[in-house]
Amino acid sequence: MNDEKRVAIKTEQVTKEYVGGTFTAVDDITIDLVEGEIIAFIGPSGCGKTTMLRMIAGLEHPTYGSLTVYNENVDKYLPIHGPGPDRGMIFQAYTSFPWLNVLDNIEYGMKITGVPKDERRAKAEEMLKLVHLEDFRDYYPASLSGGMKQRVAIARTLAQNPEVILMDEPFGALDAQVRWEMQEMMIDVINRESKTVIIVTHDIQEAIYLSDRIIFYTRTPGKVKANLEMDFKKGERYPIKEDCLSLPGYLDIEKKLFSMMREEIV
Amino acid sequence: MSDEDTSYNHKNAPIAFQPKLGFFELRATVSQNRKMVLGIIGAIIFFGMWEIAHYMMDETQQKFLPSVEQVLSSLWVLFVEKAYIYDVLKSCYRVFVSFFVAAAIAIPIAVLMGCFANIKSMVNPTVSAARYLPAASFIPLLLVWFGPTDLQKMSLLFLGVVFFLIALILDATESVETSLVEASLTMGASRTRVVLGVVLPAAAPGIIDAMRAMIAVSWTYLVIAEIVAAQDGIGAVMMRAGRFLNVDIIMAGILTIGILGVLTDLLFRLSAYLMFPWDRAR
Repeated sequence: MNDEKRVAIKTEQVTKEYVGGTFTAVDDITIDLVEGEIIAFIGPSGCGKTTMLRMIAGLEHPTYGSLTVYNENVDKYLPIHGPGPDRGMIFQAYTSFPWLNVLDNIEYGMKITGVPKDERRAKAEEMLKLVHLEDFRDYYPASLSGGMKQRVAIARTLAQNPEVILMDEPFGALDAQVRWEMQEMMIDVINRESKTVIIVTHDIQEAIYLSDRIIFYTRTPGKVKANLEMDFKKGERYPIKEDCLSLPGYLDIEKKLFSMMREEIV
Repeated sequence: MSDEDTSYNHKNAPIAFQPKLGFFELRATVSQNRKMVLGIIGAIIFFGMWEIAHYMMDETQQKFLPSVEQVLSSLWVLFVEKAYIYDVLKSCYRVFVSFFVAAAIAIPIAVLMGCFANIKSMVNPTVSAARYLPAASFIPLLLVWFGPTDLQKMSLLFLGVVFFLIALILDATESVETSLVEASLTMGASRTRVVLGVVLPAAAPGIIDAMRAMIAVSWTYLVIAEIVAAQDGIGAVMMRAGRFLNVDIIMAGILTIGILGVLTDLLFRLSAYLMFPWDRAR
């Protein structure tokens, strides 16, 4: 099914330096991120994977190289000049607005981009169902658990219909059981909405389970160590985690990634 | 499915040793009832010591430490015979108006400082230094500029709080997580919307809390403000009483300010409770 897939985001020789060139976060990154794929960025701590994600989000800018995103309206690749709703982002910290209830939170993005009220409400209801929070629409985030807060953030981002969804260790602050629930929910959600997703994670198993492709970064300065397609899944996504873990080829890829990580940490 | 055989018979269990730590148990939990009772006992001890001190003195000394009932009765006399309510309202007017002017100026400055690092760099050095200027040192200057007027007194109260308000509100603004700001940017929010629609609502409880703390300080500055050439107000009443050695009236004045301070605090807490329903589940 990959023949007609377009590249959603192009990065060409992207380098990010700080402090006048004394510290290089990422060095000469050239990757094509294909539309509709779930791509995981993994690597040792400080390798620059989050920096790459933030540059794609437009929250930071490359020192050298170019980052472009495909724009449907003009059928061209336009440079990423800043953050915007076409590249929705979900953060590790809980970013649902505490002064708004769940429903108003989900509607927020649509409200500021001028979507009419009825449309907003309908879309928000749809999103509530998608993340299983229908019973909590009037609740304030302070009364919600961590996993639920992240679900609000996910629903809010999806409500804006971004082309690309960026996730910066979204389940990092959650305990293992909730993380597992959220991972399965994400597979379900992404299958229904068919988006391009880039997820930064420390968790090798999470990366293998969620992604179609893994970009592995070296330690600082981060270069691309490997660009691995998750062939063992044969293009399928598995809403039930055990089904993926029991596939032949899973253990091999997991072993391979762990030893790659060991190379970079030592 | 009978439970009789399988249930544990606690009556036959050996008696567990219950250590008795009594009053001084570390980090104990205290029930609401007990808190109230202990609080009342504490107050009784304080007022009891005061009363005992008064009655242990000889007659000439007793004038300088009036008993609790003497203070309360002079408070009553002030209200009933000396139109004290007018002084109370005048002092309240001075404190509240000067405070809200200070807040109206401090909030925009501090929020902008908290959002824009360049503004902070420009304004902060001057404002933080100004914090160290004692309010009282401004009295001669304000008298020259405004004379012994209400404006002079309220300017003093203003100067006493405005710099600290800016510092505290700046803190409240900066404690809004950057991820909240970045999340709204990725949703397409403009800078104006981020400042007014994200940072401000997020910082609002902290801002109200800062105001609640600083208005208490304003009350403590009231007597200083009313010390020079005040005709009315609680401070003026106290200064006049001082000239005639009416210690009971002085203490009644202190008590009045204390009560007004507590009421103001409660007013702010109630407002915060009503304004921020989302902040209640803390």
